[in-house]
Amino acid sequence: MNSGNNRTFLLKDINLSIKQGEFVSIMGPSGSGKSTLLNVIGMLDEFNEGEYNFLSESVHKLKEKQRSALYKQYIGFVFQAYHLIDELTVYENIETPLIYQDIKASERKAMVADILDRFNIVGKKDLFPTQLSGGQQQLVGIARALIANPKLILADEPTGNLNSKQGEEIMNLFSELNKEGVTIIQVTHSEKNAAYGSRIINLLDGLIQN
Amino acid sequence: MINLAGLSIGMAAAMLIFLWVKNEFGFDNYHRDAGNIYRVKNHLSVSKNETWLWENSPYLLGENAKQQIPEVLDVCRIAPFGYGTQYFNIKGQFYPEEGCAYIDAAWFNVFNYKFIAGSPRDFNEHPFSMLLTESKAKKYFGNENAIGRVIRIDTVDYQVQGVLADNPVNSSFQFNVLIPLAARVANPRNKKNDESWGNFNYVTFLKLTPSADTQVVATKLKGIIAKERDKDDLKISLTPLMGMRFENDLQNSIMQHSDIKVVYIFAVLGILLLLIACINYVNLTTARATLRAKEVSIRKIVGAEKKQLLLQFITESVLISFFALVATIIIMQLSLPLFNRFTEKTFALSFTSPNLWIIAGGTLVATVLLTSIYPAILLSSFKPLSIFRGLNVLQIKDGALRKGLVIVQFTISIVLIVGTIVIYSQLQFINKQNTAYNRSQLLSVSIPYKIWRKYKEEQRTSLTGSFKKELLSQSNIADVSLMASESIVNMEGFSSGNSTDWDGRAEDFTPAIAFFRVDTSFKDIVNLQMKEGRWYQSGNVADQHNSILNETAVREFNIHKPVVGQRFVSQGDTGIIIGVVKDFYYKSLHEKIGPVVIRTADENNTTFLIKTPPGKIKQAEQAAEKVWKQFFPNEPFSASFLDEEFEKLYRADNKISALIWAFAIIAVFISCLGLFGLAAFTAERRNKEVGIRKILGASVGSIVSLLSREFVYMVLLSMLIAFPVAWLLMNKWLEDFAYRINIAWWIFVTAAVIALAIAIITVSLQAIKAAMANPVKSLRSE
Repeated sequence: MNSGNNRTFLLKDINLSIKQGEFVSIMGPSGSGKSTLLNVIGMLDEFNEGEYNFLSESVHKLKEKQRSALYKQYIGFVFQAYHLIDELTVYENIETPLIYQDIKASERKAMVADILDRFNIVGKKDLFPTQLSGGQQQLVGIARALIANPKLILADEPTGNLNSKQGEEIMNLFSELNKEGVTIIQVTHSEKNAAYGSRIINLLDGLIQN
Repeated sequence: MINLAGLSIGMAAAMLIFLWVKNEFGFDNYHRDAGNIYRVKNHLSVSKNETWLWENSPYLLGENAKQQIPEVLDVCRIAPFGYGTQYFNIKGQFYPEEGCAYIDAAWFNVFNYKFIAGSPRDFNEHPFSMLLTESKAKKYFGNENAIGRVIRIDTVDYQVQGVLADNPVNSSFQFNVLIPLAARVANPRNKKNDESWGNFNYVTFLKLTPSADTQVVATKLKGIIAKERDKDDLKISLTPLMGMRFENDLQNSIMQHSDIKVVYIFAVLGILLLLIACINYVNLTTARATLRAKEVSIRKIVGAEKKQLLLQFITESVLISFFALVATIIIMQLSLPLFNRFTEKTFALSFTSPNLWIIAGGTLVATVLLTSIYPAILLSSFKPLSIFRGLNVLQIKDGALRKGLVIVQFTISIVLIVGTIVIYSQLQFINKQNTAYNRSQLLSVSIPYKIWRKYKEEQRTSLTGSFKKELLSQSNIADVSLMASESIVNMEGFSSGNSTDWDGRAEDFTPAIAFFRVDTSFKDIVNLQMKEGRWYQSGNVADQHNSILNETAVREFNIHKPVVGQRFVSQGDTGIIIGVVKDFYYKSLHEKIGPVVIRTADENNTTFLIKTPPGKIKQAEQAAEKVWKQFFPNEPFSASFLDEEFEKLYRADNKISALIWAFAIIAVFISCLGLFGLAAFTAERRNKEVGIRKILGASVGSIVSLLSREFVYMVLLSMLIAFPVAWLLMNKWLEDFAYRINIAWWIFVTAAVIALAIAIITVSLQAIKAAMANPVKSLRSE
């Protein structure tokens, strides 16, 4: 990573490979580079050195457009602050990624209906995010991440803003999804939540600790 | 910054306009007795349906009024010094000079002038004296003392007896050279002429007692003049001095007049510009208020009262307006030379003049009122906790108003854009209509009457004949026509009563006719087209009595068929109609083409209309001057170019066109500043949403369209409102032209494209910036 004129490495010598179907938890203190790592994996942040292979593609060689097309298709994001669009209803929020993937309206309708049904939030579909509790909002956030059937879910402290009961529900949902074959990488502060994963990576000052 | 720039530009434009409007409304108000001074106006009925309104009166009316009417305290008179341009002869050098007038001895008793040198007494003591304004004295004598210097006009020497301060911009009397009336009547022929009650040569001013009834005075004046006339065909009214500026029904005038309608239009435009600029301020302040909501909430929770917050915001607005005013005055100072050239005035920003401060103060108060009240109330009134609950009430409540204000701005801008296009098209249309002949290849040279009268009648025809022959021998002169009128661009029609006659005319039908007296070359020079019959043949003696009519004359006179060959009496001379020409333009397109009668009697034709080969106009002028010097070595030469005459005819229209242009550009620019600011604000407010959408896979294009869409809708809605308004207003403007364009659909399409393009470019600058930003950054700040 470059920042200004001073070349500081936000991440350094990361050698990591994650297989399909894994559930990885990244842990570490604030500022250790967890989120940056997650953003690099999610192709939202660029990197200056090294290689990154995703499925069969060499991400470091791709152009912006191709990269965007790649993550649009294969990766879903879940955020600590949910990042739902306040002006849109639950239904519309979940539908948005499909619109950007040029999926037909009738098909979108079926897909959103399916996921609403699966998450048991059909009754909430016309509400706005501000009318929901934090747990419900995160549920919508996950539904939105899953709607396009991604192979990988990236979750940045998904339970950070939730109480323990809500957090537990979300983590159980992740386990379930993982069993269904979705690869999950989460960043977390909580050892308890990290334990849901099949592998834990500890990060300190941009380096992986073992 | 956007706030300040928009506000200052709007205020500067508005203030310049108000300066001009105030000047227009304050004409001639600086004379001590301005409220009691009136000008005599004569209403002379010349036929059943035609009354001529004159600002001139007979010389003796003034004398008699002062003696016989007790309400009249004083009388003074002014008359132009000769016709047209005068030539000052200073030590053998000729200088053309306009704006010379005769004034009588009482002039300075009635009107206030500032003498820099000399005094009214010096001036009146000697008949052949002269007063110059300061700038004229500088022009002729530099920094030397002008007093006592001699200027010769024609054959008479005048001695400068005083120097006056330049005429104020709000004076109707824009004369730079004044000469005593005594000098004119010193010539016995002039005196006899002037003392005839039938000659209306003097603009006559009366100073009345404050309690005088103008109706009564007018009736008494009529009594004086009626005794001297054999017909009861004259009425008199009094025009107040301060009302002269907007008098526009006079047949002609030695003063400049102005159209009150135009003044009102510009006053309204000035207010609209100020409004547009203030809307920007309000919009940007309230928009930013949502971002400032946190500050306000905390202040409230800490214990600020509504009153204190209100005060805070009003203070901010006053401060901003004050800074804007300073910037405004700088902008005004910079743009003043341009503005002066435009208005043909010499406004100056004098910081000691109360006028400037009245206008600045008024504008400042209006701006503060417009910019502080709404934002202040809005900001200080919302509930503090709502912002912390994440529910932004503010945003929803004032969003609609903000949109409404933007729509108002764009409506005004679009109306101005449409106006600009319509006015431009009409002026283009005027240009294209008058293309029978190429104006840039024509000039005219006239022999002034004062030279002409020195020749005996039998010499005259041979003089003009040999002058024309000499002109034709010049290589840069293609053709010459000798004619009577000095202009073919702006010809007046007048009624010649019963001396013009034809078969079937009703006794009381005496229409106004434009008479052309020309020679045989005229037709080809101005490219007249014959409709029937023939043009004049050279050497045909009978043609001297014959007439050629235009189509309108044939139609309006209801000439019996066949038209060619009918008896026609023109100004007492009986002949036949030998031809009909197609209608051609001979005056402003504001007026309809009237009946024209063309004749070829050439005894008193003194104007040479000269056609030049393309691009040779300057050479032709020099050639004509050479010929002139051969014939009249001691007389100043002057030529008039048809291009310039034409431009003069439409000067007012061209000026309005340019002003509307300027207004439209300023209005669009300020509106765009506002739009730019709002778009920036929207992008800022929706920063997070944009980030989320990008992560969800939105392309740059879709984000730009998302952010721009609502603004485009607003502009579209503005068009819906602006188009009918513009259509109505512009049709009203076009009504002033007898020949005019139709407002075509493409004008609206053009305006729509311009407005949309400008709005989209403005908004997308911000939208693209927002859409290109890395989404991680906008989300990380949470």
